[in-house]
Amino acid sequence: MSKEFLGEFEELVLTMVAALQEDAYGAAIAEEIETRLKRDVNLSAVHVTLYRLEDKGYIKSSLGGATNERGGRRKRIFTITSAGMSMLKAMKDARLDLWKLVPQLKMITG
Amino acid sequence: MFQEHLMNNNKPHPPKAALRLLSWFCPTELYEEIEGDLIYQFNKDVKTVGEKKAKQKVLLNVIRFFRPGILLRNRITIPLIPIYMLFNYLKVAVRVMLRNKSYSFINLFSLALGITAFAFLFLWTQHEFSYDQFHTDKDRLYKVFNRTYTNGKINSWDVTARVLAPTLQEEYTAIESAISYTAWGEQHLFIEGDKRIVKTTGAYADDAILTMFSFPLIKGDAKTAFKDPMSIAITEKFAQELFDEEDAFGKTVTIGEGSESFTLNVTAVLKDLPSNTDFRFEYIIPYKLVEMLSGKNTQWGNNSVYTFVKLKEGTDINQFNEQVKDVVQKHNKDADQWEVFLYPLTKMRLYSRFENGVPDGGRIEVVRLLAMLGICLLAIACINFINLSTARAQRRSKEVAVRKVTGALRNSLIAQFLCESLLLAFGAGVLSLVAVYMGLPYFNQLISLHLTLEFTNLNFWVGGLLLIILVGLLAGSYPAFYVSAFKPVKILKGLVISATGKSRLRAVLVVFQFGIAITLMVSVFVVQRQIAYLQNRDAGYNKEHLVYQYFTGSLKKNFEAYKNELLARGVAQSITKTSTPITDRWSNSDAMEWEGKDPENKTLFERIYADDAFATTAGLTVVRGRDMDPEKYATDSTAVVINESAAKAMGFDDPIGKRIRDNGTEWHIIGVVKDFILTSPWGQVEPVLLFGCVNSWPFSVAHIKLSAHHTLQENLQVMAELSKKYNPDYPFEYEFVDAAYARKFADLETTRTITLVASFLTIAIAGMGLLGLSSYMVEVRVKEIGIRKVMGGSVFSITRMLTWSSLKPILIAVIVFGPQAWWVMNWWLSSYPYRISVGLFTIPLAALSIIGLAVIITSTQTIRAARTNPVNSLRNE
Repeated sequence: MSKEFLGEFEELVLTMVAALQEDAYGAAIAEEIETRLKRDVNLSAVHVTLYRLEDKGYIKSSLGGATNERGGRRKRIFTITSAGMSMLKAMKDARLDLWKLVPQLKMITG
Repeated sequence: MFQEHLMNNNKPHPPKAALRLLSWFCPTELYEEIEGDLIYQFNKDVKTVGEKKAKQKVLLNVIRFFRPGILLRNRITIPLIPIYMLFNYLKVAVRVMLRNKSYSFINLFSLALGITAFAFLFLWTQHEFSYDQFHTDKDRLYKVFNRTYTNGKINSWDVTARVLAPTLQEEYTAIESAISYTAWGEQHLFIEGDKRIVKTTGAYADDAILTMFSFPLIKGDAKTAFKDPMSIAITEKFAQELFDEEDAFGKTVTIGEGSESFTLNVTAVLKDLPSNTDFRFEYIIPYKLVEMLSGKNTQWGNNSVYTFVKLKEGTDINQFNEQVKDVVQKHNKDADQWEVFLYPLTKMRLYSRFENGVPDGGRIEVVRLLAMLGICLLAIACINFINLSTARAQRRSKEVAVRKVTGALRNSLIAQFLCESLLLAFGAGVLSLVAVYMGLPYFNQLISLHLTLEFTNLNFWVGGLLLIILVGLLAGSYPAFYVSAFKPVKILKGLVISATGKSRLRAVLVVFQFGIAITLMVSVFVVQRQIAYLQNRDAGYNKEHLVYQYFTGSLKKNFEAYKNELLARGVAQSITKTSTPITDRWSNSDAMEWEGKDPENKTLFERIYADDAFATTAGLTVVRGRDMDPEKYATDSTAVVINESAAKAMGFDDPIGKRIRDNGTEWHIIGVVKDFILTSPWGQVEPVLLFGCVNSWPFSVAHIKLSAHHTLQENLQVMAELSKKYNPDYPFEYEFVDAAYARKFADLETTRTITLVASFLTIAIAGMGLLGLSSYMVEVRVKEIGIRKVMGGSVFSITRMLTWSSLKPILIAVIVFGPQAWWVMNWWLSSYPYRISVGLFTIPLAALSIIGLAVIITSTQTIRAARTNPVNSLRNE
């Protein structure tokens, strides 16, 4: 498991899936990234990444309900698997370990 | 759904086309959610950026989904079945073909023959249609024709006065340029270094020739090439002949020699003319030069050049023809009822025959006929396939039934059989590609052209492929529908489909095949007989040992000495110098006058000038009076010998001593000779006048009757020796009159070869089909034959019965197509004034040979079947 790595965008999407829980589907994730990170993402990139993560076994999916905004189309709700969760954790820990190596400088204000 | 409709009515909705595009490439299992997300996004965008922008964004988003991460998620499951089945079809097709090698061979080979013949004829037809179509301004290019009224009939002809072109240019503003053009085949001697080349392939033309037409220039400026009269334009090939590999442009070349020589600058080098043009020249000499040397020809009555015209853009040709028609009348008081009109250059090749003043086809008829022949040959080959596969369908019935029972749709069965025919057509196509490639040199020789296969041209391959697919579909579609319609229940129950050759369609197709075969057979007979008839026609003169020699260089000057020495050495019996070879027309007139001439009489008389005893030299038969002999009779310088037709046309009972006025001279008739053929061996004999003449200007050729005391070799050797002596600068050239005469048959002989080859092919293909059908019929009826034998039928009666059933369609073909063949051949013959009649026996003869052939083909199968021991055919089952 530790041999596998996630790209930056993959990690971001995976985190989003974990965060949004029942509301994790393509358009919502894209929207969330856009509003929270002020970062332009395009829908197809999110979809492709979701499918790739599903292939790798970090998330699983099932078809959920339809809404008016979606023209009656159902959404595919993604949920994070335990493998995904531990991957995310491992990545976060590794990141923190590395962060500790950085000399903690005081922020200079002004 | 209800909700959705409501929503659609109130709210903007994303563009359907974009979503359809998505559905086309998006995997089905992902489609719904992606679409949903897109709609969600769209609805959000409508609020923020407006409907129009939102729609654009949808399309953009859809396009963004067109990426490998999505595309590769398509499981390739949908087309898997057809491809898998396709392999199965091909496998079965190959197995079926291998199982029946002889049938496959017949099918493949006859299709290949048909396609090959079609391809050849197509190449030729295409070439015919491309004549003079390469000129950039082809739609504004015209040739000038005359329309004259004689004896109540309108004649249209294209030889005009030299002065017409400059007059048109000067007087009509709608004309951009007008030129005179001639390619008379005059001899020119070119001298370059120590090279001496005699050419007859030159043209005289006005300056604008290079700008009017689009003959590609390699070097030189089309606009200014002929600014100086002392210039010449030559083709690449001729340039190479003159200057080898050196650049000809800007070099000088000398024409003629002694006092009559000129040095011309090569001011333009042209690409060799393509084969699809009716212009034929290797060099162009400007008319300016000719006129500088021999003066301007401003006579309106002297029509000897072609005139080409380029109109200004936007000129209406009909209106212009109205304006221009009286141009000759205005300048020539003698030419009442003489009109001029312009005819498109692009129509000259195929549509340039006029009947009573209106265009009436031309070469296009031959092109159409041959195109039809090509299509017929292809059809005949397809018919073989149709007949053999429907006849043999029973063999495939079990396969069809099993496929149907296991769930095959009719469409997939049709697809299967079409696959088979396409495969076969493809095989045949490859075979015929090889055949066309190998046969093209022979075909080119036959039609004296240089056609090539354009392997690098995409159109060639696309066209070829389309042809093959067309052939495959044509040949395969009927069998495919026929076979795929079998009812599996009947077949599997053991009910046998009748396939004893009793299909009406099959019979009709065989009738068609053999109908064409009989038509072609008749045409072979008729063409052959017509050629023989024409070749046996009495030319009216003795072609044997008769040679003519053009006056080149100093031969004309030294003619008397040359003549005397030839006579003295016993090489020649008699020598006459004349204006033209006896096989060509040179000059004619309808304005001759004689005592008691009816002013309405506009008979065209051919002129030949001869210095001495032409009747003796050419072996003409003098029926009245005497031959010319200026040595004995001083008055023979104005004597004329006429032929019988001329005497008749002038209405003389006793022509001797009568006077004729022509060109301002008065001539007296001293003799009448039997009619002889001047131009065409199938035409009416023209009225000809042989004028005596002491001046030397008209003479261009010497006729020499060689002595029979020496062999031809010896005679020619002496001639060569003396030619070298009296005309040292020019090569020794001569022509036998019988060879020149035989050349008149070239076109007819091509027709003969084409009909011969086409009828051979037709009979070969149809014969192969017949062989296949009869052998199959015998196979199917093997039990019947066995039973008949057991019941006491004789080999002869059984053979007769079987043969008869195969022959019936052929007999019908003879009856149906025989009269039509007769009619076609009558039509063909009608263009030859001197002709055979089709003849009562031609059609029965052709019919008999076809039927005979068919009997031989079928009896190879039927006799064998009738002789087999019935035990072999009846013992099992």
